[in-house]
Amino acid sequence: MSVHIRNFAIIAHIDHGKSTLADRLLEHTGTVSNREMKEQLLDDLELERQRGITIKARAVVMQFERNGKKYELNLIDTPGHVDFQYEVSRSLACCEGVLLLVDAFQGVEAQTVANAYAAMEHDLKIIPVINKIDLMHARPDEVAEEMMNSLGTDPDECVRVSAKTGEGVDGLVDAIIEHIPPPTGDPKATLQAMVFDSNYDDYRGAITYVRIMQGTVKKGQKIAFLRSGTSHEVVELGRFAPQRQSTDVLAAGQVGYLICNIKSLGDVHIGDTISIPGDKAAEALPGYSRPKRMVYCGLFPSDGQDFSELRDALERLAVNDPSFEFEPETSDALGFGFRCGFLGLLHMEIVQQRLEKESDVDLVQTAPNVTYEIINKRGETITIHKPQDVPDPGDIEEFRQPIVRCNVIVPDDFIGAVMKLCQERRGIQQSQEYLAAGRAMLTYDIPLAEVVYDLHDKIKSATRGYGTLDYEMVGYEAADLCRLDIMVNGNRVDALSVVCNKADADRRGRAVAKTLKKEIERHMFEVAVQAAIGSRVIARETVPAMRKNVTAKCYGGDITRKRKLLQKQKEGKKRMKAIGNVEISQKAFMAVLSDGEQG
Amino acid sequence: MSDLANSDIAEPDQPPAGWPAPRSAYIHVPFCRHRCGYCNFSVVAQRDDLIQQYLESINAELAGLGRPEVDTVFIGGGTPTHLATPQLQRLMQIVEHRFAIQPNVEWSMEANPEDISAEKLAVMRDSGVNRLSLGVQSFSDGKLQLLERSHRGIEAEEIIQLAAGAIPNISIDLIFAAPKETLAEWTEDLQKAFSLPIAHLSTYALTYEKGTSFWTRARSGNLSAATEQLEVDMYNAARQAAKQSGWEHYEISNFAKSESQCRHNLAYWHGRGWYAAGPGAASFVGGHRNVNHRSTTTYLKRMAAGQDPVAESEAISTVQYARELAAFGIRMLAGIDVVKLSRETGVDLGDECRLGIEEATRHGWLAASDGRMRLTQQGVLFADSVAACFLSD
Ligand SMILES: Nc1nc2c(ncn2[C@@H]2O[C@H](COP(=O)(O)OP(=O)(O)OP(=O)(O)O)[C@@H](O)[C@H]2O)c(=O)[nH]1
Ligand code: SF4
Ligand SMILES: [Mg+2]
Repeated sequence: MSVHIRNFAIIAHIDHGKSTLADRLLEHTGTVSNREMKEQLLDDLELERQRGITIKARAVVMQFERNGKKYELNLIDTPGHVDFQYEVSRSLACCEGVLLLVDAFQGVEAQTVANAYAAMEHDLKIIPVINKIDLMHARPDEVAEEMMNSLGTDPDECVRVSAKTGEGVDGLVDAIIEHIPPPTGDPKATLQAMVFDSNYDDYRGAITYVRIMQGTVKKGQKIAFLRSGTSHEVVELGRFAPQRQSTDVLAAGQVGYLICNIKSLGDVHIGDTISIPGDKAAEALPGYSRPKRMVYCGLFPSDGQDFSELRDALERLAVNDPSFEFEPETSDALGFGFRCGFLGLLHMEIVQQRLEKESDVDLVQTAPNVTYEIINKRGETITIHKPQDVPDPGDIEEFRQPIVRCNVIVPDDFIGAVMKLCQERRGIQQSQEYLAAGRAMLTYDIPLAEVVYDLHDKIKSATRGYGTLDYEMVGYEAADLCRLDIMVNGNRVDALSVVCNKADADRRGRAVAKTLKKEIERHMFEVAVQAAIGSRVIARETVPAMRKNVTAKCYGGDITRKRKLLQKQKEGKKRMKAIGNVEISQKAFMAVLSDGEQG
Repeated sequence: MSDLANSDIAEPDQPPAGWPAPRSAYIHVPFCRHRCGYCNFSVVAQRDDLIQQYLESINAELAGLGRPEVDTVFIGGGTPTHLATPQLQRLMQIVEHRFAIQPNVEWSMEANPEDISAEKLAVMRDSGVNRLSLGVQSFSDGKLQLLERSHRGIEAEEIIQLAAGAIPNISIDLIFAAPKETLAEWTEDLQKAFSLPIAHLSTYALTYEKGTSFWTRARSGNLSAATEQLEVDMYNAARQAAKQSGWEHYEISNFAKSESQCRHNLAYWHGRGWYAAGPGAASFVGGHRNVNHRSTTTYLKRMAAGQDPVAESEAISTVQYARELAAFGIRMLAGIDVVKLSRETGVDLGDECRLGIEEATRHGWLAASDGRMRLTQQGVLFADSVAACFLSD
């Protein structure tokens, strides 16, 4: 009896219920027994469970019989957060179709649109699914119409489900079988497989995740990685159910893993093609473009902590997260550390959290920045990953910054508020269209630096949580930028420099000096904080010298309380860096982000 | 630190001669006439209906101690003298019943001038109280009003004279750096204090504690706190005035005429043990620091239900004990005897706190001579920084 294969990904805006729907499908197809079931089963990384979001895409095979036929459905659950868009695009290359999930109350949101477009680009069959129909305020008919207007899906094709109650899931399985085309590969052709992910197992080495496009791969067979030009023997292969389950073969159309005694993940390139060794190999597949690092920051060990320990921790982490990159950096102020690139601020936060958890290093992190391009007087283009590398104004011909195209979806009551925000952030409006009565999509080109730090939060609060934002790179554009420097007791602190718009420089400079004054603890001497552009000082604040530090009362009951307080203060001093003889805390390094908008 | 792997039976972590046996008792009386705007103590105002229940709770709480001997008793608050005379009598009776009061006892009672009468003084004296700590705070009517105290300056003077006739050892509290107060005004308070028949003085700079109305008012800008420099000047003025009167400045905030140091408080600073009862009261017995529930009503409820009133309990290690002894002992101007402290705790303090001692010495806050470590003139103003140096590296 032949097996009918379907490969699909579940894509959606964040929190629309992808992982919960995956739970129901696993249950419904008998892949996971009731006893093993738990909520968002596929979110098994500790951080995913803590935060309640999916960070890494996960593939699972569901094998079952239906109406006398054998089926094998390969599902990939993807993350919804914009930082992890890259995970989605990788997943799409392994599929013939997607379930495009939309929350029956929230409706179409920014990442719904972004993900739908990505699926269309890959020529995938889209099954529109309206989820959470159990919600009291569900409005499935309106949402079906919104989807039609914005994404061109047929309202009659929308499958309505509740991933919570399981309602409609049976019909969804039918729809998957009926509408998603089976894979077309030929099991007898020469092996051609796409490497779409990998991870590292302490006992087994690198685990390579593959989608077989053509041919068959067997245990014990010799294979070749076309791009890296290496050959290996397949020691084990199998599928995710959802844990690794070994089999003897994987054939065209199937998704699974290979274990080949590869000791380092560096030898497995995501996007590489696997075939047979020798000159009869299949053609290489197009592969993936590398994920774009959107923000950079410096990570340094706090005073008295080990640089090499931080390096080891970063290396360990990078093994399972190829989207994160780092290189050694030296700062006059902070000493030896690393400049690290991230997909976005959430990604940055997650990496930092993992570093601190998995190693014993207290980190000092500099404020995040985007990448700039400078064309100098000699006509050379320099890429700037850290503000302190910006050359003197006299050597700059053109200062360019990254621009992203932002789609913001909002109920029309809030259009005015969002437009105001985007304009303040130097956005240039590209278009405005209605997705449905009362819901509009605004498109703006905005400098990435204005988007990345807090535009999403600002939009959320200006729209009572209803507005959503998605963005993608469009390129670099010249702008009137300058480097704002901070001096502490007369010494420029390279790690505190920022790039900002000349028109904002005075306001920013004052705001930063003021915040630093608050964040720098008092010393036994006066500390002067200045903000300057080139040699022009634009703001000055003084942290007065400490004259005393003594509590008057200290009797029996105060001893425990006082001790805890004093120890806490001492603990707080841990994330410190001494700049000359001035101690600067982690929080102070973030002060350069203050924009002077509040207070 | 001890290495448990080395011995088969883990030895209890305690000083060579065991934990100090408590010889002091503290009783917290949480009642006040009204709550002063700067006060964040465990007190209730306008709840005199709870006093009777409170007295029985104290009696019950102390019942389990087995009538230990004590050399010092301190009844603090709150305002113990806010209790009506019979209630006060009952409280002192309970204390006498529950402790074997030693003949040389120092028995202190906190009191507010407005509650004092000749009758109450006599009752206290007859029950054994021999030290009165009066919450005078100031002799200036304006400042008293601002601090929301219910007495006037002249009344405070009269009460001191009256009390001194009945009870030999009178201590007063004075607050400085009140909003708008000048150095000259503070100096007047000091002069007045030293002209009166008192033997002990505690001075505190006004602090703005979270949860008090002063804190809120200062934050909203309608109370302006004194500058740090003025505070330092006022503090120095107090030290100066005490010196001129031949008094001893023996702890950061405490001054005494010869031989009149508060023995009860010395027990705290020397890290001796002590018993405690009442809401929010903290004890140190057998190496455990226990703190009772701070809320008076919760305390009473727990006692009524036969439950343990302790809200927090911490067993301290000998290392922590040594560090605490140093951190809090250093607040005494006579300093700490490092060798003795190390011997008593079994922890080599100089070694354990080497980095902290170096740091405090480098700043010029700490100096060592004839076997003792002391705060320097400058170090007195940075006692908390020094304490932090001892408590952790
Ligand atoms: N009422 C209701 N709640 C649902 C339903 N499906 C999911 N949820 C809830 O929606 C929240 C988000 O669900 P997830 O499955 O984690 O969403 P996700 O799309 O995987 O989120 P990301 O992976 O972070 O993008 C959870 O609190 C779910 O319990 C549904 O059908 N009905
Ligand atoms: S009298 Fe003392 S304890 Fe009572 S409220 Fe006033 S300051 Fe606080
Ligand atoms: Mg998810």
